[in-house]
Amino acid sequence: MNPVFQGLLTILIGVGGIFAYFVLSNMLLDKVLFPAKGPNASRNINRANLIRPWLFLAPTIIALSLYLVYPVIGSFIRSLYNRSGDQFIGFGNYSSLIASPDFRTAFMNNVLWALFVPAVSTFLGLVIAQLTDKLSWGNIAKSIIFMPMAISFVGASLIWKFVYAIDPNLGIINAIRASMGLNPLDVLQLAFWNNFFLMAILIWVQTGFAMVILSAALRGIPEETIEAAVIDGANPFQIFMKIQVPQVTGTIVVVWTTTTILVLKVFDIVYAMTGGNFNTQILPSYMMQFMFRDDGRATAVAIVIMLIVTPVMIQNIIQARKEMR
Amino acid sequence: MIRTLSGVSVVALLAVSASSASAQDLMFPKGEGDFSWAALESFAASHDYTGEKLMVTGATTGDDAERYRTLYAYFTDATGAEVEYSGSESFEQDIVIASQAGGLPDVALFPQPGLAKDLASKGALVAVDDAMTDFMTTNYAAGDSWKQLATFPGSDGADHVFGLFFGTDVKSLVWYVPEQFEEAGYEIPETQEDLFALSEQIVADGGTPWCIGLGSGAATGWPATDWVEDMMLRTASLEDYDRWVSNDLKFNDPIVVNAIEQYGKYALTEGFVDGGPSAAASTDFRDSPDGMFDFPPKCYMHKQASFIPIFFPEGVEAGTDVEFFYFPPFASEESLGRPVLGSGGLASVTNDRDVTKGFMEFLGSPIAHEIMMAQGQFLSPHKDANLDIYTSDVQRALGEILTTATSFRFDGSDLMPGEIGTNAFWTGMVDYTTGKPAQQVADEVQTRWDAIQ
Amino acid sequence: MDNIVGKKTGLAVAANLTVAILVVLWLIPTIGLLVSSFRDRDAISATGWWRAPFSTEQTFRGRGDTETVTQDGALFILTGNVFDDPEVAPSFPDGPATISAFGTRGNNPGEYTAGTTADLGDGEALLINADGTYRYALPEDPGSRGPRYYIQAKTPPKFTLSNYETVITAGGMGQAFINTLTVTIPATIIPILMAAFAAYALAWMDFAGRSWIIAAIIGLLVVPLQLALVPMLQLHNQVGIGQSFLGIWLAHSAFGQPLAVYLLRNYMIGLPRDIIESARVDGGTDFQIFMKIVLPLSFPALAAFAIFQFLWTWNDLLVAKVFLPSGEATKVMTVKIADDLLGSRGGDWGILASAAFVSIAVPLLVFFSLQRYLVRGLLAGSVK
Repeated sequence: MNPVFQGLLTILIGVGGIFAYFVLSNMLLDKVLFPAKGPNASRNINRANLIRPWLFLAPTIIALSLYLVYPVIGSFIRSLYNRSGDQFIGFGNYSSLIASPDFRTAFMNNVLWALFVPAVSTFLGLVIAQLTDKLSWGNIAKSIIFMPMAISFVGASLIWKFVYAIDPNLGIINAIRASMGLNPLDVLQLAFWNNFFLMAILIWVQTGFAMVILSAALRGIPEETIEAAVIDGANPFQIFMKIQVPQVTGTIVVVWTTTTILVLKVFDIVYAMTGGNFNTQILPSYMMQFMFRDDGRATAVAIVIMLIVTPVMIQNIIQARKEMR
Repeated sequence: MIRTLSGVSVVALLAVSASSASAQDLMFPKGEGDFSWAALESFAASHDYTGEKLMVTGATTGDDAERYRTLYAYFTDATGAEVEYSGSESFEQDIVIASQAGGLPDVALFPQPGLAKDLASKGALVAVDDAMTDFMTTNYAAGDSWKQLATFPGSDGADHVFGLFFGTDVKSLVWYVPEQFEEAGYEIPETQEDLFALSEQIVADGGTPWCIGLGSGAATGWPATDWVEDMMLRTASLEDYDRWVSNDLKFNDPIVVNAIEQYGKYALTEGFVDGGPSAAASTDFRDSPDGMFDFPPKCYMHKQASFIPIFFPEGVEAGTDVEFFYFPPFASEESLGRPVLGSGGLASVTNDRDVTKGFMEFLGSPIAHEIMMAQGQFLSPHKDANLDIYTSDVQRALGEILTTATSFRFDGSDLMPGEIGTNAFWTGMVDYTTGKPAQQVADEVQTRWDAIQ
Repeated sequence: MDNIVGKKTGLAVAANLTVAILVVLWLIPTIGLLVSSFRDRDAISATGWWRAPFSTEQTFRGRGDTETVTQDGALFILTGNVFDDPEVAPSFPDGPATISAFGTRGNNPGEYTAGTTADLGDGEALLINADGTYRYALPEDPGSRGPRYYIQAKTPPKFTLSNYETVITAGGMGQAFINTLTVTIPATIIPILMAAFAAYALAWMDFAGRSWIIAAIIGLLVVPLQLALVPMLQLHNQVGIGQSFLGIWLAHSAFGQPLAVYLLRNYMIGLPRDIIESARVDGGTDFQIFMKIVLPLSFPALAAFAIFQFLWTWNDLLVAKVFLPSGEATKVMTVKIADDLLGSRGGDWGILASAAFVSIAVPLLVFFSLQRYLVRGLLAGSVK
């Protein structure tokens, strides 16, 4: 069979399948099981409404429990066993992690990442979204800022290797330093600060995400609110800080949370740039060291990663509950 | 070393791409040339697997993989069995996932035996037949050590031979540009003492002797482990080397620390390395030899295994533009002889079928080695393989180092447990190169080793 | 009045300037990648990409042509043009350049200025002119191997399409492209549909346990997907899905769920309550309300998420490696590039750069075509 045709057919089956599920299951509910007519119409409507949420949620819940809940529980149990998995050692993996200086470095670095990357990329995203809104070439600027999102992490790491290269013939930073008469410097070996040079890569990639989402949110603010403020004599900065930003706080939280979570999953950048050397290890890349070798420890690291974001999670859950009231 | 990369000479490369156009054609017509065709004929006469399909996976990809496909075409021609080869850069990870998910191929070509050992202990590998256990002992130069390297405990706890070494790299080599040596009047050093004196001489002449590059993404640091292993072989006995690999000799033993510091004598001495040690720590190993080919040269020597010519700049011909010399032993340690460090790929059966057994026999026949040798820098310790098949003098000289070594030892980091050999040792060497004391680095590696025992 | 206008233009200038600086900062690495994709490996490791458009002074070496040897008294004279030398000529496809300096030793290749005669002692002398003609005088017969000389000359900038050629014409790349689409299109649409229904249920339907499900989904956001790879592959094998397109759709859909539900629910909850309430009063079922009102209103959010899910699945390597068989017939582009192209070519930055640009093309196209839907967020928002 022609591969193009085969590809199209598989796509149709996949997409059609999920669509058919929602349409058919709801049809079954409304037309066959509990039709909204006849003597029991109102009882049927109520019954249908009891079942419908679960029809809507079923695919998501099944997918999540299979693909995420089950592995997480399995991993937690696995993290209580030794490296070969045949001996229960309680929290032994966790205590040996805490005792390991490498883990502590990775942990501290990760906390830095989790604070710095979301803050900077959300801030930049917000500023760019606001500023480009009024520019004639705003869309071009946005597209350029967005472009790194479309580059794979491997590609991104590659291009930043050229930025950071120690040879002033290759690395633009060292080329600039050389033109100022300074000695070449390997920024990836610069104790402590090298972390920030790695973070810059993720910020470069992620700002586009923040910008797109925040730009949509900013445009959602009713014109009248802003016009009223202009008439009241507020300057653009005041309008931005006092009216626009508060209106999009919810979205800022969403972007911040999403970026934080991404930070805790991305291992590619550190993996490709330094391999965790020069004290740049972070937990996801630290975990990769143990994957498939010492699964007890690898899963323990994963659980720690999940614990780090707990505060952000709790904050989000509280927020969600507030909205529902 | 993470994987066995075998170089392809430009000529062979062209020949390969020409052949891949017409898929299953045999690249070297049967009956022509110096090949042991008789071996192929007798193999064909006794094996018939018509209609069978064989799945082989390995770490070699691209043009390198094409060379293997060329070889498999002969197996298909002889037995009628179809061979499907699939190579992956992340083979190490893929094969572990496959073993856990139950999707193992029929035969796996491991770039290093350490991983095979792990899988063998989990019962994922099939030991070779009784008839094959002594195959390497009888047919390979230094055969007993090859056999030892392929012997590990299986899931039953008893030792078995798990496969056959196929394809070798020699590591104890220093590459240099002969013309630059000629112009500057430098001689090939015969001893470590001479090598160090030459390095000092180059510095005195205003040059930089070495290019070192440890960068390799997540595997950053491995080239330095080769240095340390070579130094171990030149400062300690073979017994000590073997005890070091199995951790009977602790990693922080003075013997090991001394070997690390011997590497440091080259890597850390002011002016010895292009860009200094911190540049060495981050320069990609594939880019680092480039400096030798600049005018004026950024460095005069580069220590790397036999696969490195594929990363030399375009147009550089190994044998004329660039040569190698044997990384010499210490004059003060004459009793240690001329040890050679190397690495090799292990072909193991992962699925017990008749056709896989036949395939292993095929890989053991001299003709299989010759067909690989004829395509480029594939080195073989097979005694029956015809050395005339080698395509270049460089290759022949490398083959000779391999077959005349007084002792041959396998890359130690490939034999150590994964967490040490492919992690702690690597990062430790980066730490050492960027300024940590050797003792502290060795202590840290040993602590990590203690943790996994 | 003037004052305010002045302020305004001042602000506009500041805004323009700030955005311009940021855009340049963002663009520099990308341009570096783009330029590098048109250069070969040797050029990339020789000079910085910002110097690619300019001619650079480089050193070349050749040998005196021994076929031209003539005897002049006790001296053997070699003559010729360096640009005819087989080692030099390939670097100057457009004909001879101007030589600035020459030398006889690799460690000092620019010892003498072009046009001057270098006295090398013992009667040995070398003259290389700026146009490449040379005269090499030797006290002894050079035999068949001529003596070395080094020259420094400006080489014109050299760009090549060969990296793109290699990437695009690599065997199976077309199939890989189709495979990638086969993976990404359903892996984008399926999770969005699933998540949109779920998000609606969680935002606008009342049922017991709702808050628990929301909490659980937010909690699951953080699960590193590496954890799930092996257990899920085992499960797929047990239920007979094995490594297949179906398997990878399911995997991508599931891994994308928490974020999709989280983002979409957050958006949907902001939709005007009265529209939905009044539709309910008119007797619409939730299915009808969702299809006719919520779905169209959520289009900007759906488009935004679609873009990101598409990008993630498009650039994904890990999930594809685990859930798809490794044969040629099912390789996606990222796997093809990472495992096949880069493997044998090692540190070939040019290939990597062009591969990055080949694979960036489609996502950018998607972004530009969906961008106008993002702008429609303005319209949808103004309903509020």
